Amino acid sequence: MYEFSTLGWLKHVIFHPVEGFEDLRWKKQGSLALSMVIVFLLFVAMVVDRQLMGFAFNTAYVKVFNVVPLIVRSVVYFFVWVLGNWAICTLFDGEGTLKKICIYSAYALVPYIFGTYISVFMSNFLILDEAIWVNFISLLGMGWSVILMIQAMRAVHQYSFAKTIASMIGTLIAMLLILFLAVLLLSLFQQVYVFIVQIYQEIAYRIRG
Amino acid sequence: MVSKLKKCLICAVSAVMAFTSTAITAFADEPYNTYSYDNWGDPIPSQAGYRVERTVTGLDMGLEQLSDPESDLFISENENPQLSGARDFFIDQNTKTMWLADSGNNRILRLNMDLEVTGVYKTFTGGTISTLENPMGVFATSDSAGNTTLYIADSDNQRAIRTKITGDMTAEIEVEYTKPDSAAYTAEAFNPSKILADKEGNAYLVCTSVSTGALRYDSTGTFRGFYGANRVEQTADVIARKVWRVFASDEQLQAMTSSVPTEFNNFDIDDQGFVYTVTESANASTDAVKKLNPAGYNIWDNAVGNKYEFGDFASGYDESTAISTKLTDVVIGDNGVINILDYETGRVFQYDEDATLLFIFGTRSTPSEQEGSFTAPNAVETMGTNVFVLDGTKNDITVFTETVFGKYVHAASVLYVEGRYTDAQPLWEEVMRRDGEYTLAHVALGKAELNNGNYASAMEYFKTAYDQEDYDKAFEYYRDDLLRNNFEIIVSVLLALVILIIVYVKLKKHKKIKSITEYIVILCRKIRNSFKKSKKEGN
Repeated sequence: MYEFSTLGWLKHVIFHPVEGFEDLRWKKQGSLALSMVIVFLLFVAMVVDRQLMGFAFNTAYVKVFNVVPLIVRSVVYFFVWVLGNWAICTLFDGEGTLKKICIYSAYALVPYIFGTYISVFMSNFLILDEAIWVNFISLLGMGWSVILMIQAMRAVHQYSFAKTIASMIGTLIAMLLILFLAVLLLSLFQQVYVFIVQIYQEIAYRIRG
Repeated sequence: MVSKLKKCLICAVSAVMAFTSTAITAFADEPYNTYSYDNWGDPIPSQAGYRVERTVTGLDMGLEQLSDPESDLFISENENPQLSGARDFFIDQNTKTMWLADSGNNRILRLNMDLEVTGVYKTFTGGTISTLENPMGVFATSDSAGNTTLYIADSDNQRAIRTKITGDMTAEIEVEYTKPDSAAYTAEAFNPSKILADKEGNAYLVCTSVSTGALRYDSTGTFRGFYGANRVEQTADVIARKVWRVFASDEQLQAMTSSVPTEFNNFDIDDQGFVYTVTESANASTDAVKKLNPAGYNIWDNAVGNKYEFGDFASGYDESTAISTKLTDVVIGDNGVINILDYETGRVFQYDEDATLLFIFGTRSTPSEQEGSFTAPNAVETMGTNVFVLDGTKNDITVFTETVFGKYVHAASVLYVEGRYTDAQPLWEEVMRRDGEYTLAHVALGKAELNNGNYASAMEYFKTAYDQEDYDKAFEYYRDDLLRNNFEIIVSVLLALVILIIVYVKLKKHKKIKSITEYIVILCRKIRNSFKKSKKEGN
């Protein structure tokens, strides 16, 4: 029973929100490479959502296109989520490893990504009066992904439902902390860098002088 | 590293300076860059719709006649031949005369449209006080015979008056509007600053520091109530106070100040009896500009989902000034064109009847004291193709006249506002030839194309103007058209697809094929074979 290909497992997990991730765990399946592809597709979805949305639906400021916020909103947030979740849950008896958390989280994001693609595609053929369909599809994808994410975290750590929710809220707080520290470190190192450069220049002038 | 940065900075600064200085000289003589706003609310360069024709001082008006004993308009030997702190003026479109409240000199001047003085009014018969004291507002109506009734907000005399003009220097007070003897009027002082009258002879007075609206008097001079008060702007402070009010004790309640709306400072009335008000309070967002119907109801209400915006949105175009608006005067010109004067930036914002921006012109004096810049722009008026701005510190009137570009835009805009999009099309194309970035031209041409049934081209225009709502409308028609014209193809393709899917399901059920790829391969082979067969038969 349950002999699937890699993509077959992904399909199984998505369409069996109740026990899909448990099966995945039981059979020790899930591909890290596939999860990386999914994260890349998440980034592409962000770009597509901003750039290829139907003209009347697009609320983005399309005069300038900056890819950095989109990378942050997809790739960086994803890895910070994985890291934060791992950090929180190892402290609270979670059974998930870093790799597993990464794989399971990525799998759970697939409905959201597809919802985005489909709604962007539809927005090019629909008018604003029919916007409810575009919103419906993207909300459906998002809701589905949220449910899958809860199930994924539950399965990977073998938590109860309440503990899963608590750990996810904890993860969000951990993400904030990590990002705050990252920004702090970046600005610190930038100052150190400038300091070193200036010392080097000073010495260089003296030697020449 | 640092020196590189410095070099870059110097380069950038000099580039910006070179850019701005050439940009200023490119526009011949106006000391400002003309700009407009696109659909994003971003400032973009634009052609000038108005240029400065001349500035007129008191001497140019011929005010030395007032102190010349030989003249008909002689008042006294030491009458000031200049304006002094003039606060308001009004142009009577019927008789083509300008009435100017020369506040500092306590007199009213009558000028013809060449801005030469033809009458001066300093003393009035028939009232309790015969002279004026700091007249801050003036308004005139005239009947078909040319008899003028002049309304004056005689601020420091604590009254407003309605007078009948009987000669070049004589006028008779008909009605005096005084402080209302009513419990509704709670202010201590009564300093009317602006005045206007509707066709029924009702007078409306804006009084300094009265926030309950304009005071309405009937034609006999009896107080009839307030008109069109502003609402309180919902700032954080106001909301916090509302919350406190729920918990506060009676003593605390008494100590609390109540939230009072900022009063509107100026108004104008159009031919249809709508009153337009402007609020001078800096950066007011609630009720900054209102269009009131005769019942005092604001029909430009953003609270009900409209999007009426006036004045500057961004400081991007002119970095020297932080964005700050103090809308001080409004005047309605021909065809319902609205001119709004911003005291802070010295700019006149011109809108069409539907409050769509047409032109921005004028500037502040601070960097350069030149024609077209203002120190204390107090009032704006319009007559035909001219716009007049009264400066109370420079004591002159600046006359702006419409450029060729402005002429085309105005002509096109009149037709556009009436909804005659196709008639306006050649005019808008003329506008586009002169300024390809003029947003309204793109929208208007799009609407014309939509009217003509060229949906694809309409969509293109709306896309350029980034007008999403109109694009959506055009796209709806375009899509309907596309579906209707290709109905047979679409239906047959859908039908074929359905049949193929049914066949696939049946085949799979009977285990004749394994996967969808196999099915497609078989289908392709069959189609190729049938083609080959038909070819052979043809041979």
